Amino acid sequence: MIEATEVATASPAAWNPWRQAARATVLLGAREARMALRTPAYLIPNLLVPIFFYFIMVGSLEEFANQSGLANWKAFQLPMAIMFAVQGGSAGLNMVADIESGYFDKLLLTPANRLSLLLGAMGADFLRIMVQAAIVVFVALATGLHFETGAPGVVLLILISSLFGLAYSGIGFAIALKTGNAQATQSMWFLFMPLLFLTTMFAPKEALSGWLSTAATFNPMTYLLQGMRSLSMEGWDAGDIGVALLAVAGLGSFSLSLAFLALKTRIR
Amino acid sequence: MHAIEARGLRKEYPGAVVAVDGIDLDVEEGEIFAFLGPNGAGKTTIVRILTTLLRPTAGTATVAGFDLYREQREIRQSIGVALQEAGLDAIATGRELLELQAKLFGLPSSTARRRAGELLELVGLVDAAERQIKTYSGGMKRRLDLASALVHGPRLLFLDEPTEGLDPASRHSLWQEVSRLNSVLGVTVFLTTHYLEEADRLADRVAIIDRGRIVSEGTPSALKASVSGDIVTISVGREHLDEAHTVLARLAGVAEVRPELEGLTLFVDDGSGIVANVIRALDSSGVSVGSVAVSRPTLDEVFLRATGSRLEGAAPEEGGGE
Repeated sequence: MIEATEVATASPAAWNPWRQAARATVLLGAREARMALRTPAYLIPNLLVPIFFYFIMVGSLEEFANQSGLANWKAFQLPMAIMFAVQGGSAGLNMVADIESGYFDKLLLTPANRLSLLLGAMGADFLRIMVQAAIVVFVALATGLHFETGAPGVVLLILISSLFGLAYSGIGFAIALKTGNAQATQSMWFLFMPLLFLTTMFAPKEALSGWLSTAATFNPMTYLLQGMRSLSMEGWDAGDIGVALLAVAGLGSFSLSLAFLALKTRIR
Repeated sequence: MHAIEARGLRKEYPGAVVAVDGIDLDVEEGEIFAFLGPNGAGKTTIVRILTTLLRPTAGTATVAGFDLYREQREIRQSIGVALQEAGLDAIATGRELLELQAKLFGLPSSTARRRAGELLELVGLVDAAERQIKTYSGGMKRRLDLASALVHGPRLLFLDEPTEGLDPASRHSLWQEVSRLNSVLGVTVFLTTHYLEEADRLADRVAIIDRGRIVSEGTPSALKASVSGDIVTISVGREHLDEAHTVLARLAGVAEVRPELEGLTLFVDDGSGIVANVIRALDSSGVSVGSVAVSRPTLDEVFLRATGSRLEGAAPEEGGGE
């Protein structure tokens, strides 16, 4: 039974919006991370699938690639595996679960800045993506991958690919916020699969022909892969790395704008 | 100052669906105010508007003294809300949920921990505090939801269908808790319900809402007094409904006859004095009477009088009949 108690609560006048927004973002990010750890079913496929495909591609085509003049086939395939790992389809699903259960409303009823709801979730997703990318790289290194730019290059590769994962996750968050439906969030990911596949993901640009070559030329992900491969295969190339970062920035601007717009529509 | 003041609130959805149709509302500080109405009447829409979850199509309002359009954050800081569906994070434990909620309301970490502990004790969930919420029963989730609404010590509490789906014991327990919150802490309570007994027992004032409009408003006793006299409920076969209606409408002492599915409800001046005449009149017309009951008016009769239909799914009032 509820007894009379005094609560020292922050008064509306004493509220510091910036400090509270930052605190809410960290709190909600920590909550997302805790949820992810308690539901490993979301995480494990995102990790096992890219590692599986990496070994399949290396095992089946390394000899053929070497004979065709592509010396470091493992380093060529690594960005593909990382892209699979970081784009995983779980972005936004926790948010959908919150919307469906009504917990999202509960969060909206707090005085926390509503942008913190999105930023906290994305921050936690960024950490998850970084860990996944790092695991894939370390598995590849442990099984004989020679990485041309060494440890600093590995760190930069993980950072670039994680930024891509964050930019890509904006699409998932936008769909989650717009529809509030898990099936829509998962199924609509397929609409964006061309972004990943109409690239130089499985073969060098010179080996592509016809419409696929044209599509790859206009697909910003081609340039992201190029930057990642320059790190893993060729050595430091500021031009390739810069273009890769620009491609990520372009995709991020688009997808995060969609996500923020969807948040604004939902809380109107 | 009013805890809630609303003028001409209206919510219209695409397709000209009007969920709330020009609501005027004044809720005094320190009172328990109930919105009574059937499902789909617009109760939840009003709660979602007043708690800043939904933007109205038209109208103005202040909640806890803050403007509904310009001071939404201040409103959220001042109110506690338990919505119809207990929106809880199923993966979190009860303690984690309350601590996070308290921190999001700006309480320092140490205060949030202490407050979560106090509330868990107060709603009787200490033993389940470290369990994930997905393992809680419906009643436990309701109690936790209420605790989370109180975590920052709000001056105004919104409860949307707070006892929906609860067993009678849990329902009575929650009523006691809401009454104590109001009487001991002075918390203003705005609750919606379709349970007559809930509105009658808890509320200082009741507004009856139907199809997005307030059709009647006052204290429960004043509303019942507005339906003067007694209520006589008669069951007759469906095939005799029209004939019985005609006969009884002409009977002296009958103010109004309302047809129902299996019988008639009579609004009369003196229930016990008229029963014999009712049976005699029906008997002489060849209408066989299944049963007759005389009662004092309840909020259901107020609702019936105001809207022409009874509250669907309303729980029967205890001790209503004679």
